[in-house]
Amino acid sequence: MDKKRSSLKAGSLLLLLLLVSDLLLCKSVASLPICPSGAVNCQVSLRELFDRAVILSHYIHNLSSEMFNEFDKRYAQGRGFVTKAINSCHTSSLSTPEDKEQAQQIHHEDLLNLILRVLRSWNDPLYHLVSEVRGMQEAPEAILSKAIEIEEQNRRLLEGMEKIVGQVQPGIKENEVYSVWSGLPSLQMADEDSRLFAFYNLLHCLRRDSHKIDNYLKLLKCRIVYDSNC
Amino acid sequence: MDLWQLLLTLAVAGSSDAFSGSEDSSGKPKFTKCRSPELETFSCHWTDGVRHGLKSPGSVQLFYIRRSTQEWTQEWKECPDYVSAGENSCYFNSSYTSIWIPYCIKLTSNGGTVDQKCFSVEEIVQPDPPIGLNWTLLNISLTGIHADIQVRWEPPPNADVQKGWIVLEYELQYKEVNETQWKMMDPVLSTSVPVYSLRLDKEYEVRVRSRQRNSEKYGEFSEVLYVTLPQMSPLACEEDFQFPWFLIIILGIFGLTVILFLFIFSKQQRIKMLILPPVPVPKIKGIDPDLLKEGKLEEVNTILAVHDNYKPEFYNDDSWVEFIELDIDDPDEKTEGSDTDRLLSNDHQKSLNILGAKDDDSGRTSCYEPDILETDFNASDMCDGTSEVAQPQRLKGEADLLCLDQKNQKDSSSSNATPATQQPSVILAEENKPRPLLIGGTESTHQAAHTQLSNPSSLANIDFYAQVSDITPAGSVVLSPGQKNKTGISQCDMHPEVVSLCQANFIMDNAYFCEADAKKCIPVAPHVEVESRVEPSFNQEDIYITTESLTTTAGRSGTAERASSSEMPVPDYTSIHIVQSPQGLVLNATALPLPDKEFLSSCGYVSTDQLNKIMP
Repeated sequence: MDKKRSSLKAGSLLLLLLLVSDLLLCKSVASLPICPSGAVNCQVSLRELFDRAVILSHYIHNLSSEMFNEFDKRYAQGRGFVTKAINSCHTSSLSTPEDKEQAQQIHHEDLLNLILRVLRSWNDPLYHLVSEVRGMQEAPEAILSKAIEIEEQNRRLLEGMEKIVGQVQPGIKENEVYSVWSGLPSLQMADEDSRLFAFYNLLHCLRRDSHKIDNYLKLLKCRIVYDSNC
Repeated sequence: MDLWQLLLTLAVAGSSDAFSGSEDSSGKPKFTKCRSPELETFSCHWTDGVRHGLKSPGSVQLFYIRRSTQEWTQEWKECPDYVSAGENSCYFNSSYTSIWIPYCIKLTSNGGTVDQKCFSVEEIVQPDPPIGLNWTLLNISLTGIHADIQVRWEPPPNADVQKGWIVLEYELQYKEVNETQWKMMDPVLSTSVPVYSLRLDKEYEVRVRSRQRNSEKYGEFSEVLYVTLPQMSPLACEEDFQFPWFLIIILGIFGLTVILFLFIFSKQQRIKMLILPPVPVPKIKGIDPDLLKEGKLEEVNTILAVHDNYKPEFYNDDSWVEFIELDIDDPDEKTEGSDTDRLLSNDHQKSLNILGAKDDDSGRTSCYEPDILETDFNASDMCDGTSEVAQPQRLKGEADLLCLDQKNQKDSSSSNATPATQQPSVILAEENKPRPLLIGGTESTHQAAHTQLSNPSSLANIDFYAQVSDITPAGSVVLSPGQKNKTGISQCDMHPEVVSLCQANFIMDNAYFCEADAKKCIPVAPHVEVESRVEPSFNQEDIYITTESLTTTAGRSGTAERASSSEMPVPDYTSIHIVQSPQGLVLNATALPLPDKEFLSSCGYVSTDQLNKIMP
């Protein structure tokens, strides 16, 4: 009887140990966000990093599209903001590939760095976008919430991309290059029309850039992780 | 350049209304659609305005311009390909296509701009339809009516899904051949999807369309796929046969009702009791419900009076309730005659008639059960029918119990006396407050015992009744030694320590000691007169046979024989004359000879088994 009890005890202890170790392991592998910055030896596979990055970029693009559509529906109707041709985005100065051939010819490290630059360029505008949308008259909740969400996700995507770059290009740390956004004054103009146009412009650029990053990441994922065979 | 920009702005602004969906009523050519199927090329289509009067159709030209970097440095360029995309179209191949770059196109006719449009290529993505639709059968349901299929297709060939340049999602639609409404499924990312629950006897059409993920616009539908499922045997078609549920339910209810009524109103008591079991009437021990119905309250009260929990105080206010007064100290009642006489008298008959209970739960049971030792003494009270004799009986019982108590106490360590037997002794001892015949054999008990013995005649006259332990096949009743021989009382206050000598010898089947056994244990009795009294009483009244006699040791039996021979010339037992009465047993005076000497013991008790041996 004692033997049985002791064996039972041992069995339960083993089970407990297994469970705890399982939990710890699971935590380390599937924890979100990806390894906090500062943890040097965090081993997360490249595939999972890319999967997560693609999910985030897809999500950001969805939000941007919705936000633009809502803004367009609410504020831009009847104001003639169709002058898309004129306005340009502040990230246009970054020489990003513009079609498939160019994207395929560029090296993936360069492309990764480009993505990083674009993401960094949007940190500032997104922050100001949130504060300015809040200050809008009858601040639309939907647009504001989406703006806040995009800002946060953009930061997480940036972290993830830095991780990927660290894995793909270990050791090489480029200077933080990004485009400076100078559109804040236009967002704060007294004239409502001008102000709204500035918003429209910004949101349009955001939608475009989020689509660009999403596309680049999907391309890179297929190239690096799946060896061009998605 | 600023002027140029201004002009462009004006032109675009002017033409913006045209793109908000207004109808073309002027017959001018205008853009219908610009579309990029794979994010690598795009094409634009326009309508050639209907013109009345054939002027020269005019060369409709398309010019485009795209912004690179930050400045509109380029001029309007003409469409590179008017042919590839069909009539009234302009096709831009991959070298002319840049994604995420704003384009503006304009349509000119005879030199004048008729239409203009600005867009980015990623905004106009509408993939081609998927190709290569086919289906496979997954499974067929058990009923043979439904089936599941898996539909597969290939992505449009020009979309570079493999390299991940474009990511597509698909939407499948299906319907029966003769239906008009298409059923839509949720968009999926994979190129195969299961379609569940298609009917086997119908033909279906399936089509798929795709769109770029994140976009809202779908491409064109694919070609329709016709799904003809294998036909199952017509026997499987059960749905045509409408089971007459309604009819069956009605008939079933009707039949059940008829049967139920038959049972309820039938005279068959058994079946009726099965279906509608009678509600149990309240039962009180010893009371016949019919008695209550007859309304003979006197008898009812009589019966109730003998119950322990009968509280006469309740009925103090009721005039119709009569109480039987118990006079405990009245010695005259003791001499009223033996119980047997009373039982045999008309009173007994009368009581019999009255209390002829049909119930099993009547008070009879308590009289007859030897197991309920607790109630034995109470039962004996009840069986008497009158409480007049109850007291002396009780006294006797108590005295016996006292004896028993003492002996039990001394032999408690070795005896196998059942706790039940000890309990009644305790209980009765406690109950009797005026007679503190408690355990311990105090002097008062001695006194009490002595007072009891003071009147031998009373003792002699006190009748006893027996508890039946068994009924022999011949019909006679074997009585268990429920009551000790009253003469044994005298012995009880003997030296207690002497009894311990007999401890080992006693095998207690029941907890009763015979006085004879007690006698052995006790040395020369100081009360000689008691002994002398004992003998005649033994002769006459020693009727019980106990099991102890059988289990005593040889030595003892030897002495017992001697003792018994001297003390009990003719031990016998009484058979029950009337068993019906709940009030007690009417005992026959007949005595049976005991041929076997082994049955003889110091006391005249014999066990049931032995008795059976004796009896034929």
